[in-house]
Amino acid sequence: MMPLKVQSLAVSFPGLATPVLSIANLEIAAGSRVALTGGSGSGKSTLLNIIAGLERVRTGEVIWGGQDIARLSEGRRDRWRAENVGLVMQDFHLFAGLSALDNVLLPARLSRVSTPNLVKRAHEMIETVGLKRPGQSVETMSRGEMQRVAIARALLRKPGIIIADEPTASLDVENGEAVGDLLLSVAAGAGSTLVVATHDQRMIERLDRRIVLRGGCIVGDEVVGEVPA
Amino acid sequence: MIRFIIADLRRLWLGCAVVVLLVALATALGVAVTLQERSLRLGSARAADKFDLVIGASGSETQLILSSIFLQPAPLPLVDGELLSKLAADPRVAWAAPVGFGDSFAGYPIVGTTTTLVTSTTPGFGEGRMFAAEGEAVLGASVTLTVGAVVKPMHGTAETGGPTHTEIAYKVVGKLKPTGTPWDRAVLVPIQAVWHVRGLGDEHEHEDAGPEPTAVASSTSHDEDHHHGGIDPDAPIVEEFGADTPGLPAILVKPKSIADAYRLRQEYRGNGTVAVFPGEVLTGLYATLGDAKMVLSAVAAGSQALVAAALVLVTVIHVGQRRRQIGALRAFGAPRGAVFLIVWLELLLLVALGIGLGFLFGLLAAQFGAHVFTAKSGVILPVGFTRDDLRLVLVLLGFSAALAAAPALLAYRQSPAQALRA
Repeated sequence: MMPLKVQSLAVSFPGLATPVLSIANLEIAAGSRVALTGGSGSGKSTLLNIIAGLERVRTGEVIWGGQDIARLSEGRRDRWRAENVGLVMQDFHLFAGLSALDNVLLPARLSRVSTPNLVKRAHEMIETVGLKRPGQSVETMSRGEMQRVAIARALLRKPGIIIADEPTASLDVENGEAVGDLLLSVAAGAGSTLVVATHDQRMIERLDRRIVLRGGCIVGDEVVGEVPA
Repeated sequence: MIRFIIADLRRLWLGCAVVVLLVALATALGVAVTLQERSLRLGSARAADKFDLVIGASGSETQLILSSIFLQPAPLPLVDGELLSKLAADPRVAWAAPVGFGDSFAGYPIVGTTTTLVTSTTPGFGEGRMFAAEGEAVLGASVTLTVGAVVKPMHGTAETGGPTHTEIAYKVVGKLKPTGTPWDRAVLVPIQAVWHVRGLGDEHEHEDAGPEPTAVASSTSHDEDHHHGGIDPDAPIVEEFGADTPGLPAILVKPKSIADAYRLRQEYRGNGTVAVFPGEVLTGLYATLGDAKMVLSAVAAGSQALVAAALVLVTVIHVGQRRRQIGALRAFGAPRGAVFLIVWLELLLLVALGIGLGFLFGLLAAQFGAHVFTAKSGVILPVGFTRDDLRLVLVLLGFSAALAAAPALLAYRQSPAQALRA
């Protein structure tokens, strides 16, 4: 369970007069299920990149469970992310030529942390997300199945944080709902903090807290449910 | 990681195949030049190995060796035939044998010589026996005739053409074992038969029997009027040479010792004769060959450099196109080192495979060239790799490893967030 605290965060890109993201203070309790909404260019993806440790922070603090990832070197941030963050993206980012199982295990293998137990867990995760054939090549899968593989990959190392960027945007309604269910249930099952950037109203309605961004600033923050214990 | 790399290469198999082929062809060019040049040196040196000293009339030393040892048809000035008897009687000489040529049969040169030379420079007979009469011939191992065949000499070579001496026929009585020299492609006949065909020598001399102004080695320079002799097929061969011996294009000499060889060489340089060690002429030829090799190697190196530059450019562009994939790998937790290794290994694998194939293609090309050369000249060219080639492989691989590091470094330095936005 990892709480998040963001303080005095400002992100600017060269050539732009104003910061693309400016957040004075943001706290997310451990185990929260948060929807991040806002129009295109509102700063959702930038905020996700920042809290996932993908983007380097020059101004401000991003503290996950007591650790300010803004102060970590790039290599240590990579390691931290691999250990603590499960990422689910709109485009799945599965690797062609590999099976579902190999895709799930790839980041762990590249980080040289793959063990027989982790392989066993990969099989379990594939089963958990509702896939029957771990050896199936990802090119032969439907988009819904691909997103399930991506979710299994994100959850392999039992991350304390799950960050999803438009996870249902490229899916039809039926698959979108199924993937939404899956994300919520596995996050709840693992006790992970779930942050989802989405335009999908059905998905937004199922999350406990809704943060609205506009012009890089938080313009709305509504808690509609309780943080699961 | 290896599984990922293999899957990646399989996915991009067409581009990978082009890269491998480009590297292979560029490498093969250099390898073929090196192997061919080396085999030519070795082959020609081995072909000349049996011949210690060659004496001819003053003129081109290179042509003397090319004509007398490599049986290349070309005009040679004649040396006085008396020299042969003088050399035969010289206590420093183990044996001295004349060579006379000018005719051919089905593209094979007909060489007149003595039984001593055949016995001393070949490993023996694979079939049949030595010629014992004027109308008998012995075949080199590569001549596609059999014992019992009849050889009707044609003046000149198959390329230049010339009249066939239909009235003259040699009967093949033996076939030699292979020597790996141009003599494998020769039809060997008694030297007296060559003289008699040209109307030279004792009882067959019908006119001026003095040394001809140009050699019988040349079909182009030879005067047709000299071809009105004939042979007595059953006449026994005589290998005692006296003062009346006709002029000779070359005399092959086997000195008794190295010191004798140097003394003879010194003695017969000047006064209308030239004595040369085949090795010294070959050394000069190798120097020329070395220059040619340098030029060809430079061309090959240039093409390799161009391919290398093209590869770096292509891979840098490729890395640019794969930014999202690289960004995703990083985003999911792959360390930067792993990303570097993936890009580096992928390129290195392709280049290493290309280098390996290039060496194979180069070897095959050199072997093919050697085969063609052997078929034409009889000289066996030993094509093969040496320790130096291993060093070249290591240098090329080292260079490739350094080269592959450029796109790998580019991938290593990419920010995952920026890469995902690409």
